[in-house]
Parts: sequence; C-alpha cells; structure tokens
Amino acid sequence: MREELIRAQHLTYRYQTGHAALEDVSLSVGRGEKIAVMGANGAGKSTFFLNLNGVLNAQEGDIFFRGKRIGKRDYKELCRHVGVVFQDADNQMIASTVEAEVAFGPVNLKLPQEEIKKRLEQALTYMDLQSFRKRPPHYLSGGEKKRVSIADIIAMKPEIILFDEPAAALDPVSAKMLERVLSELSKEGKTLLISTHDVDFAYRWAQRIVVFHQGKILADGETLKIFSQERLLEQAHLKKPEMLKIYEVLLERGLVRAGSYPRQADELADCMEGIANNERNI
Amino acid sequence: MKEYKTLSRREHSHGPVSIDFYASQSGIRQWNGCYKVFAAVFVLILCLILDTPLVSGFIILTMGILNVTGNRVELVNYMKLLKIPVIFLVMGSVAIAAGFAAEPAGDFSISLHWFYIYLTKKGLIRALQLFLKAMAAVSAMYVMTLSTPAGELAFVLQKARLPGVLTELMYILYRFIFILTEVHRNMKTAASSRLGHVDFKTSCATFGKIGGNLLILSMKKANTYYDAMVSRGYAGEFSLWEEEKPVKAWQVLALACYSSVLVCLRLAEGL
Repeated sequence: MREELIRAQHLTYRYQTGHAALEDVSLSVGRGEKIAVMGANGAGKSTFFLNLNGVLNAQEGDIFFRGKRIGKRDYKELCRHVGVVFQDADNQMIASTVEAEVAFGPVNLKLPQEEIKKRLEQALTYMDLQSFRKRPPHYLSGGEKKRVSIADIIAMKPEIILFDEPAAALDPVSAKMLERVLSELSKEGKTLLISTHDVDFAYRWAQRIVVFHQGKILADGETLKIFSQERLLEQAHLKKPEMLKIYEVLLERGLVRAGSYPRQADELADCMEGIANNERNI
Repeated sequence: MKEYKTLSRREHSHGPVSIDFYASQSGIRQWNGCYKVFAAVFVLILCLILDTPLVSGFIILTMGILNVTGNRVELVNYMKLLKIPVIFLVMGSVAIAAGFAAEPAGDFSISLHWFYIYLTKKGLIRALQLFLKAMAAVSAMYVMTLSTPAGELAFVLQKARLPGVLTELMYILYRFIFILTEVHRNMKTAASSRLGHVDFKTSCATFGKIGGNLLILSMKKANTYYDAMVSRGYAGEFSLWEEEKPVKAWQVLALACYSSVLVCLRLAEGL
C-alpha cells in the first residue's frame, strides 16, 4: 500500500437549494497515484474536486491531508497542496498577460520575488509557453489557453493536481500534448486525479478508477476490474473501452496472449507477436 | 508578430478591443509602464503650459510618428482612431469661433433671416489654436493608450498608491469585458443562425433576450471565476505581478531632450 496523501471521509456537500451534490463520499488517495474519476454529467465529480481543493466546504465529513485532519478554519490551506485545472480555461484566467497569469498563484502563496520569478520561468518552459509570455489570454487559441491553465497550477508546485475534464474541447494535437504532460507529471511523482468521460483515455492512462453516480461513489478499484463489470458500466452510463473489446475478441480467437491486457495499439502488437509466430510454427 | 497580424484582420472594429490589441503588440510595450504614463502626462502638461500653435503642431507630428513607428499602428488606422476626437474638437471649435448677432458684426457674417452668424479673425485664430492644443494633448495620450494595456495601467495606478479596490476592479473588469464580449458575440451568432435578426421587431426582442441571458451568465461566470481564484490561494487581497522593467538612461535623456526642444520652440516663437 502506498503512503496515504489525502483522504476524504464521509463527505456530504449540499447546495443552498438542499440538493446533495455529494453524499457520504469516502476516498483515500496514495502518493503518486494515477486516478481517473468517471461518471455521468452532474454525478458530483467537479464538486468533489472543489472540496478536495478547499474552495467548497462540505457540511459533513472531514478531509485529512498526510493524516492530519483539516479543520474548518484551515480549509484554505488545502489549495497550497492541491491544485485544480478547471475545465474551461477561460474561467480560470484572470491576469492580462500570460506571465502575470502564471504568477498569480505563486504571488498568492506569498513567495519571495526571486522564487516567483524562478517558478514562473520553470512553468513557462515546462508548458512551452516562453514565446507567449507577453500575450494577453484573449488572443490565445484553445490549446494554448489549456497550456496556460496547466502552467498556472504547475507554478504553485502542489503535490496533487486535479484535472477537471482536461481533454474537453481540445484538438487531437493538443490532446496528445496533454497526455505527454500528464505522463511527465506522474514520472515526477505528482499525484493526479482526472475527471473524464473518455473511457479509452481512462483505460490507457489510469491505474485506478473511481466511479461517481448521483453524488455517491459507486465503485472504486483497479482499472481492469472496473471495466470488466458490465453491469456497473451500464449503471454509471459508461462504455467498455475499444481496446478492451478488441482484446477480448482476439482472445476468443486465440490470437493474443491471455492475461496480457494491452492498453495501447503498440502494446497490442507486442501481445500478439508471440502467438502469431507459434501458430506458424505449428 | 505574424499571428497578431492575422488576428487584427478578424477584429477590425474600432472599439476598445482594437485599442487593446495595438497596446499588446506595440513596439514600446517593453518600456517601463510608470515611465510611459509619466512621459505622456508630462508632454501633455508641457503642451498646455507652452500653449502655442507651433509647439502643438510639433507635438501632433512627433507623437503621430511615434504612434505609427513605435506603436506599430498603421497610418490609415491611426487616422481612423483620430477621427472621433477630431469630430468632437471641430464641433467645439466652431462654437468658439462663431457668434450670433442681430445685425452684421465681426469680419465675416452670414444672414440667416432672423439673425446673423458671424466670425471674427481673432476668434478664428483662437479656435484654431485651441484645436491644435487639444489635438496635441490627444496625440500624447494616444501614445500612452496604444502602448500600455489596461492591465499594466492598473499596475501603474497601484504603484501610485491608488486604493486597491479601484485597481483590482479595473483589472478584473478589463478581463471580464473580453469574456462577456465573446459570450455576447457567440449568443448573437447563434440567434442570427435561428433567424433572430430577421426583421426589426425580432431583432429588438432578440436583443432583450440576449441582454437578460448575459446578466444571468455573467453572474454564473463570476461565481466560477471566484472559485478559480480561491483555488489558487486568493484570500481577499489581489496582488498583481509585473516583471521589473527598469527605465533606461537613454529614455530619460530622450524625454529631457524632447521637452527642451518644445521649450526652445516656444522661446524661438516668442522672439
């Protein structure tokens, strides 16, 4: 078991209308985990993220960070350790130049001037934004805005980064860039939670999947385990990933090694290679 | 800069958007913001104190050159930007130059049956002087506006110890204007594509609906915006970050030289 980083315990969050967006949600996240948070629209994913980040305060339940209970007064402390990349980058951007925008978080962390400058340079280089630094955000394209919104969070150096449907409205090139950044971030030991509707992406990327349904956690487990439960997928309005379906068909015909579960096309080729050769030999 | 060029084609309307656009691509954007504001105001004050047509004309010319070369505003577009103040100033000057009288007076007069409109040479010269002076002041201010984006201006004001509430409001409003204009544009396009602007009556109804929607949407957006700010550590105090852009010695020297030229022009004229 990994070292626990953050834990939500019996969280219940109600909107002013009385509608419960989260109901008795408990989740423990270990350091360096790659978790996909799935579920239909309005299932409570975004609300859950904002609770973990300390923006929203659940009426019931607690959040523990590194085993320490976060009291109602220290909720704001959470945003130092947990960063959220919002779904719509336009809702996140405040400043009138890219550099001022990326520096917004570090300035709020009350860091010394040199440290702010250093983090700004790092984040801009990381997201390949150096040539855009003087640009106002309203003259950027969608993919560029997404990069800025990620740089915003990277500059704050949180241990956990929550991505709220990051691939929504991105073109294929930007989506590829996003996946590259995600894998780099997890190589660096960051803990990532990503809410997504894209089952293929979740299957490719995540180690663990948490399924939300009407404000509750319906299932929580290893990626393969979740995607092999047909009934669960149906209930949560999810689909089986294409790659898993292909694998199952190939397995039925004996064309792929059993138990290999390829996640990507090039892995699939590897998993098939030995089998195909054997057949020819026979 | 190439990408900027293509953007300028798309947003060719001359509202605040295009002024902001010029400011963000200006060649002297990198100069220290406080210096730019100070220099512009200083030239403005000199123009008002020295108050002669020669000085005013000189300022109009040099500031015009600075706007076209330094701020990279095409000459045609600069003329268009000047059009609005010129119209106001012409109307104002006419009111100063001309007078009404019951019988012919002044150097030129036109009979309008019941009364006369007359002009005096003195009044005419005075109006012309005033026009030039005002135009010079406008040109100097344009150098500032076309090289300093509103966000940077807010930063300058913050440094000038203006109350935080005002500068924060200015900063956030500035960003919000662009978000709302975009939302508005999208709604308008969507309405048009469903015959929302088919005739005058429908247009009026659509206009009202878009306005109402915009209000609700802006409130919603403001909420998510606030959440986004809190999630990045905003705790009631809005601090702006700007890169240090030191004032260079030659810039100070240039301003000193320029103002002495203005003073010399005034003295030469006085002789």
